[in-house]
Amino acid sequence: MTTTSTAAARADGATALDATELYRFFRTGEEETLALRGVSLHVQRGETVAVVGPSGSGKSTLLACLAGLDEPAGGSVHVGGERISHRPEAQRARLRARRIGVLLQSGNLIAHLDVRENIRLAQAAAGRRRGAASDIAALLDGVGLRGRAHALPHELAGGELARAGLAVALANDPDVLLADEPTGELDGRTERRVLDLLKSRADAGRGVLVVTHNTEVVGFADRVLVLRDGRIQP
Amino acid sequence: MNAPGPDTTLVDTLIDCREAARTYGRGENAVVAVHGATCQVRSGDRIAIMGPSGSGKSTLLHLMAGLERPTSGKIGWPALGRPATARDIGVVFQSPSLIPALDVVENAALPLVLSGTSESEARRRALSALDAVGVADLADKLPEELSGGQAQRVAVARVLALRPRVVLADEPTGALDRATGRHVVDVLLDTAAELGAALVVTTHDSTVGERLTERWPMHEGRLVATAPAPAASGPRTAPRARPNATRGETSETRGETS
Amino acid sequence: MIITWLSGLVRRRSGRLLAAALGISLAVALVAALGSFLTASKSTMTDRAVRSVAVGWQVQVQPGAKPASVLHTVRSAPGTRTALPVGFAHSTGFHARTGGSTQSTGPGVVLGLPPGYRTAFPGEIRQLTGSASGVLIAQQTAANLHVAPGDTVTIGRPGGGPAHVKVAGVVDLPQADSLFQKVGAPPQTQPTAPPDNVILLPAAQFTRTTAPIKAADPAAVTTQIHVARDARLPADPAAAYTAVTGAAHNTEARTAGGGLVGDNLGAALDSARQDALYAQILFLFLGVPGAVLAALLTAAVAGAGADRRRREQALLRTRGLGLRQIAGLAVTEAAAVGVTGGLLGLGIAAGVGRAAFGTASFGSTATSAVGWFALALLLGLVIAAVAVLVPAVRDLRQGTVAEARRVVGRAGTPRWMKFYPDLLLLALSYFVFRASSSNNYSLVLAPEGVPTISVSYWAFLGPALLWLGSALLLWRLVTLTLAHGRRPLARLVRPLTGTLAGTTAASLSRQRRPLARAVVLLALALSFAVSTASFNSTYRQQAEVDARLTNGADVTVTESPGSHAGPSAAHPLAAIPGVRHVEPLQHRFAYVGADLQDLYGVRPSTITSATSLQNAYFSGGSAKSLMSKLATRPDSLLVSEETVKDFQLAPGDTLKLRLQDARTKTFHTVPFHYAGVVKEFPTAPRDSFFVANAGYIAKTTGSNAVGTFLVDTGGGNQKAVATRLRHQLGTTAKVTDITQTRSAVGSSLTSVDLSGLTRIELAFAVLLAAGAGGIVLALGLAERRRTFAIATVLGATRRQMKGLVFSEAAVLTAAGLAGGALIGWALTQMLVKVLTGVFDPPPDTVAVPWPYLALTLTAALAAIVGAALSGVRRSSRPAVEELREL
Repeated sequence: MTTTSTAAARADGATALDATELYRFFRTGEEETLALRGVSLHVQRGETVAVVGPSGSGKSTLLACLAGLDEPAGGSVHVGGERISHRPEAQRARLRARRIGVLLQSGNLIAHLDVRENIRLAQAAAGRRRGAASDIAALLDGVGLRGRAHALPHELAGGELARAGLAVALANDPDVLLADEPTGELDGRTERRVLDLLKSRADAGRGVLVVTHNTEVVGFADRVLVLRDGRIQP
Repeated sequence: MNAPGPDTTLVDTLIDCREAARTYGRGENAVVAVHGATCQVRSGDRIAIMGPSGSGKSTLLHLMAGLERPTSGKIGWPALGRPATARDIGVVFQSPSLIPALDVVENAALPLVLSGTSESEARRRALSALDAVGVADLADKLPEELSGGQAQRVAVARVLALRPRVVLADEPTGALDRATGRHVVDVLLDTAAELGAALVVTTHDSTVGERLTERWPMHEGRLVATAPAPAASGPRTAPRARPNATRGETSETRGETS
Repeated sequence: MIITWLSGLVRRRSGRLLAAALGISLAVALVAALGSFLTASKSTMTDRAVRSVAVGWQVQVQPGAKPASVLHTVRSAPGTRTALPVGFAHSTGFHARTGGSTQSTGPGVVLGLPPGYRTAFPGEIRQLTGSASGVLIAQQTAANLHVAPGDTVTIGRPGGGPAHVKVAGVVDLPQADSLFQKVGAPPQTQPTAPPDNVILLPAAQFTRTTAPIKAADPAAVTTQIHVARDARLPADPAAAYTAVTGAAHNTEARTAGGGLVGDNLGAALDSARQDALYAQILFLFLGVPGAVLAALLTAAVAGAGADRRRREQALLRTRGLGLRQIAGLAVTEAAAVGVTGGLLGLGIAAGVGRAAFGTASFGSTATSAVGWFALALLLGLVIAAVAVLVPAVRDLRQGTVAEARRVVGRAGTPRWMKFYPDLLLLALSYFVFRASSSNNYSLVLAPEGVPTISVSYWAFLGPALLWLGSALLLWRLVTLTLAHGRRPLARLVRPLTGTLAGTTAASLSRQRRPLARAVVLLALALSFAVSTASFNSTYRQQAEVDARLTNGADVTVTESPGSHAGPSAAHPLAAIPGVRHVEPLQHRFAYVGADLQDLYGVRPSTITSATSLQNAYFSGGSAKSLMSKLATRPDSLLVSEETVKDFQLAPGDTLKLRLQDARTKTFHTVPFHYAGVVKEFPTAPRDSFFVANAGYIAKTTGSNAVGTFLVDTGGGNQKAVATRLRHQLGTTAKVTDITQTRSAVGSSLTSVDLSGLTRIELAFAVLLAAGAGGIVLALGLAERRRTFAIATVLGATRRQMKGLVFSEAAVLTAAGLAGGALIGWALTQMLVKVLTGVFDPPPDTVAVPWPYLALTLTAALAAIVGAALSGVRRSSRPAVEELREL
């Protein structure tokens, strides 16, 4: 109960993302592994938080729980003051659509839709009216892909693909942007550019949480949390 | 082997690119990935091709490996024969390139089997290569059960088992975290040293580049002539510094294969 | 959103969508074509039944009723086109004096025909010679009396002196059976044969001639009102039957007991509706598996994109699309595929109809064709929903996106295998089959006193369960073999792959799930082709046997009763062009106890050179062994089962028959030995009869007179030979040919000609087999494009790639062919047994249409090799580009 009241207390608009005491188990055959062992974290509006950790430390699982893609066995997740954990999938989906943007390391785009159609799809999911062509143009401008609106994902180079993914992730103007290793395959300049975009997101009063092992990213974050063996290191 | 002078013999030149260019698409949609690149790779070289994404470094690597043909210009493998066989040039790819239906040791043994080695012998060599890169305990796993770093190490072991004379690695650390990436570079360097092979790595990560002896910057499809690198590898940091290499492309001479 | 999604799919995934749509189109086309054909053939059956009767109703005016008022009632009944009164009177016998001798017949029948009768009922009387009006005499009577047009015949009248009439023409009464029926009597008490002696008089002359008879016994002269009907009948025989019998009852009621309706039309439709049901059974037996197969093929095509679909769904959920929205997208995709496939299928069906029947609707009426087409379209949508929508929704049900994103782990044993549904289904199939093929079982149920008939759908269960069970068993076997037989597998593929054998075997073994699925699909398609084709050709074979059994041979010459033509009469017949062999067959009558039965005398050594004797005709020995028994022991006798039972006969028993001696004209006893049972024999009736050695009969009766000559034409030209024979023999004998018999068997299935159905089905079976082989392999190879690209990059030569691809194709082909042949064989055996009712007589052996099967095999192999070659070609595309795209 205390955790819930803490979360409720934080639901004052200042907190974009709040997670308390997350637990998550995995069962593969007979083995049971504990991917998250009581992770608590929060992201304020206007803040950029980086979660770093070696591979296998539970980063991806944490991100999935935070985004409402996975259900933690214990603990709770609030986004913009609304609880997203332990709710029916339909409600989680609505929250994801309205409040959360997810940027994955790869596979951010539907292969048979071009960049603009991908963005439009994400906007439609969030319940936005169609015809916000200027929005799409602005998004594409923002990531420097103005000329590539009609390109299909397989026609884009690695850096372009990442930026297009970012444009899609931002299509619903989310409260919090969750990014999983967003610069993994990018060169320094593109990486810088993506990070700047993330930063400007935070500056616009939204929360940004990046899961990464990249030191550049760590350097740009306001706060760095180290995840090891399913726990946030003190 | 690692003291190449200006008049290096033909045999030492493993890869010889002459104004090699690669264009994708046609007409208006044509994209030039690599503008005529001229460069050479010799025994013992440790080269990093550095550049941002889309600079054409992967394409150049594929051209060197003989996986793609240049749309103009020429590429030869004077010391390896023509065209270079997969046996002589081992490639580590950026994306996971293990065959899902084969387990780790079968994957590592595959190039050997493809080149005619018996399956039992190939298996033995693959196992020792896996051991060398520290993933021998994964031998029976399927690729989908591996993490990214493990898969990349298996891909390196696959090259090691082949004992090629040139190792080409395309962004081998791109998808890995720093510690894992460092380990993969260690393994690559050790492998090249053990085989006495030339090593060419494409990367955008300067920390990776620093670990190799030569860095060839690449920008918008062009190899850029830069100031000499800090490493003491003679005057040929810029690839164009070797304009008078012989036209080895026509040569059939093979170096002794390992 | 939906539009964005769909247009993206259509523009960039057209190949896959089209492949799924093609699968659906096959199912839709099959059902639309078969359904339309079924309705068309049903209405053909009705038409034929209606056309086969010369007189629709024969209303018997009851004693005491006024013919004129009954006639008026019948005429005013709805649906009556023409109604004419026909007089019937019995004569004590006919006599004629020709060529210095007097011939007499037994009791005869005199008919009185009103003017216009022959125009109203053209099928009742066939003119042979002489004038069409005036006094007509039946052909057999003319032969008995040795009279021709112009001769005078004396009619014996009970209760009066003889009357003399001058014969104007000789006619044949093709439908004598129904003409002389006892109206209103149950079938058992109907006369066994129509009267031999018939004279037809114009109505006025009839009244005059029969006046004395009537005066003596008013009941001896009766009136029948013959009715031609023109009421519109439903196309379906069952409905037509109901309508006609209803109208008959109605008419009887209107006459208030004054008339009894002999419903010839109803009787014909009754047998037609049974045939229609059989046709429907065939449709279900043969059409449903085809549609199921096409659906499975569609599911395989749709399932090939499962990985990508799962990834896309996970991404969509990440973007916050609700399950309902994602399901909506899947619905859209399914609808697009279903509608495209459905319309395409209807197009194919219309095309097939046009090619096979000249009309798009297979000869059926436009409305029923539209009905079937609509039904087929609906089926297409259902298949699309099942194949495309269900897997998508199933994936969605996984609780969280993270679970959905996870890749499936090591291929374990599929869960269903733990419950042994395959063995269960096979056992169940066996029991159902045993139960349904036990004695007294009939596929078409016609319960006593119930006007409707129905099909026993239990019969379907056996083959259906067998099909399913054996498919699952094959799946299990292939999976187990691939899982545990890596070593032998490596040995098998070594010729194709060389040093890569072990690696190839390992890779095949790990891909056992999709591979086993592909094998099962191919085997199912092949087994469908095998069983359908074998069933159809067995059916055709038996239909031919039936016709041959009825007619006796290609052409049969039946001598008039009383003819004494001996075996030597065969020589002039044999000289006629086109005749290969003439076999005399004696036909006599013999008393066994008080029972008079037909007796056939055969020449055992040569009988099979003009007709075929199947083992199924006999019991207690094969056709060959029993014929040789007749030859070695001439007094051997083959008798019917009933006689064996009635007389408690054991083989070797002596059976005494009484035969007429030609010299003394008296019956005397001739001993025979019971040697075996005969159930059917060419030209013989369905009920009891004997077969004996012709030589022995000739010796014991003092006459070698032959009743029938069986003429072999070598299987062709029957019509022409029959015409030549008729020309030569004139009216002295009756000549029938097998083609005539074939169509005269009435509206039976034989004449409906399954060939339309067969052609459609066989064509689809070939397509399905080729599709199953080619598409499934192509899809599997397409899924492994990445694998091939990697192998190429690692230095695999084109030859090695070929080895890899062809190993897979070889495993698929070998297992699929073996499985398909086995399942097909078992299924055919069961189908033939279960559908025994369709066969008359039941077949000795299943006819295997080797050329068709070879064609199917070739098509499947060509598709597989084509898919494999295109797989190899694709793999030689620049591998790096391939890798980048994937």
